[in-house]
Amino acid sequence: MTPFLGDAAIQSLAEEYGTPLFLLDCKTMESQYRSLQRALLGVDFYYAVKALPHDAVIRTLNLCGAGFDIASSGEISLLRRHYINPRSTIHTHPIKKNRDIRDSLRFGCTTFVVDNREELKKFHPFRHRIGLLLRISFPNPDAVVDLSQKFGCVPGEALELLHLARKLGMHVKGLSFHVGSQSRTPAMHVHAIEQCHAIMQEYANHADTPLSTLDIGGGFPVRYCEDVPDIEKFCAPLNAALNKLDDNIHVIAEPGRYLVAAAAMSVTSVTGKSVRNGRNWYYLDDGVYGVYSGKIFDHADYPVRSIRQGVLFPACLAGPTCDSIDIVKEDIAMPLLAPGDLVVGEMMGAYTAATSTDFNSLVRSRIVVLNEPKDTRAVVHIA
Amino acid sequence: MTRAWAETLYDAYGQQFSIDKIYFESGTGHQHLLIFHNSVFGRVMALDGVVQTTQKDEFIYHEMLTHVPLVAHGRVLRALIIGGGDGGILREVCKHRCVEQITQVEIDQAVIDMARKYLPAHSDGAYDDPRANIVIADGVDFISGTSEKFDLIISDSTDPIGPGEVLFSSNFYEKCRRCLNPGGVLVAQNGVPFMQLDEVVGTARKLAPLFQDWYFYTAAVPTYIGGVMSFAWATDDRKLRAATLEQICDNYKASGIRTRYYTPEIHRASFALPGYLLEAIGKRE
Repeated sequence: MTPFLGDAAIQSLAEEYGTPLFLLDCKTMESQYRSLQRALLGVDFYYAVKALPHDAVIRTLNLCGAGFDIASSGEISLLRRHYINPRSTIHTHPIKKNRDIRDSLRFGCTTFVVDNREELKKFHPFRHRIGLLLRISFPNPDAVVDLSQKFGCVPGEALELLHLARKLGMHVKGLSFHVGSQSRTPAMHVHAIEQCHAIMQEYANHADTPLSTLDIGGGFPVRYCEDVPDIEKFCAPLNAALNKLDDNIHVIAEPGRYLVAAAAMSVTSVTGKSVRNGRNWYYLDDGVYGVYSGKIFDHADYPVRSIRQGVLFPACLAGPTCDSIDIVKEDIAMPLLAPGDLVVGEMMGAYTAATSTDFNSLVRSRIVVLNEPKDTRAVVHIA
Repeated sequence: MTRAWAETLYDAYGQQFSIDKIYFESGTGHQHLLIFHNSVFGRVMALDGVVQTTQKDEFIYHEMLTHVPLVAHGRVLRALIIGGGDGGILREVCKHRCVEQITQVEIDQAVIDMARKYLPAHSDGAYDDPRANIVIADGVDFISGTSEKFDLIISDSTDPIGPGEVLFSSNFYEKCRRCLNPGGVLVAQNGVPFMQLDEVVGTARKLAPLFQDWYFYTAAVPTYIGGVMSFAWATDDRKLRAATLEQICDNYKASGIRTRYYTPEIHRASFALPGYLLEAIGKRE
């Protein structure tokens, strides 16, 4: 993926605003959204707000027509600020406090995800107002971040939970799964779609309350340092599996990373240098406690380069905190750099600024938004 | 293509309004308040995605929540309104000349200001009535702290998902009982039982140990969708609910009020509950 900004433009923004900088490009987000739409025709997308909960992202994707996948009351406040139609939102955190449920209902989000008996019971007092998605877990060794350990019921429990919900008078709209973030192959998505299809058919044989929705989660891969299939290729087998579903089934997805990863870059300055064990060490003004936090939490390895060109030497890029874990790149080939030189991290939109900390009381990277769409404030929810 | 607003009360069912003009919208705080004009219902006020009141059908709700207990009682001198910031209940209570003092406890001054500005017909000048005493406070705090007694308490709350939750608690009903004069009545908005049967069942369970006579009465309010709306009725004077049509007619005439929905016949009939509701509250013979 070509970066959305050339070196000259990066340099001039760094001069204008100073570093560390976090450049966020709305046009890239829009084109990512469109390419996912083309790859998964007929699927409705709910942007996973947690990936990058920023005003410009919400505004841009709202204008694109996306819905929003929320997981907390804080994310609801963010959506409220943008007058997001609550009918276009789903609450997907499988474990909720009573307060979370109430906040969500007061916002107008009435779709929730559950994956166990206890959680199902929490919804009993609200059962007339809500629709539920039952999350099923499919372990995924191919995903960088496997989410099946913490959430989802095993496929074998699904029917029992569906029948329990029906007995309790609760409306389960359908099934959901999340095979893990940054899935390297489509195999697990396909497997999960097929398994869900089988569960839905089995349930239909025993119940007169049809399931209407399948939420295929996220996990759509983007290219960091490692090659991944392009999105059309990745989605082709998914489409084949989805086409076998009953025509009544409404398919939705919760992309996060795919929509925002390519839309941001980090621009840092070299603040100091040293030589240790024959390797050049460069200290940057942001690191793993800042926008590179995804290196720790998200296990992401971002493409990093310097603007300066030249003969390459082994180098280590370190962040600005006092902690020795604060290493952006342990072993990278870099030209000889001097303090003030710019180092650019690409593909840095997802789970980066979202998980930045204030450790060492360092100032966070300044977020500069590029190509923001005109603010056509949708005052009320257009049906 | 006109703009539309859809209520988000239920996931799988709902009503939608076209919007001709937005008068007010605030969505950035903890709640979303929207006041707009709809060609069928006139001015519509929605809070957190749920219709609170409309210009066209508010009289049904406000008349029934007010006049049923006032006419049944026949000699209310002191009335307490909890909530009701739009002023509709206050307007209806003020119609009764026999009432000497009306205290209204509303948690949010902004609701009153907003309603006076955008829904002026709701209060129709009632906030300027010398008998009205407006207190900005939490309803439960007020009733827990006051030593005043009332002949009638009207709880005109929002639905129990939001801040109105405490007004559906045993604690609140118990405090209300303490503040009622002998023979006094408590009435409370209680949701649409066809859609939210739990609310009626929960209220019934809480009122039963506190009052000699408790029941529900109903009225169909078009924008409270899903069937009739229910009102909780609680008093220690069993005679009030048993009043004959003749007695109700006499009290109604004596009150001198004019009503558009309320009639003595409707008053009597509103206590006739459908079988499923009687069953749910354990009142089916």
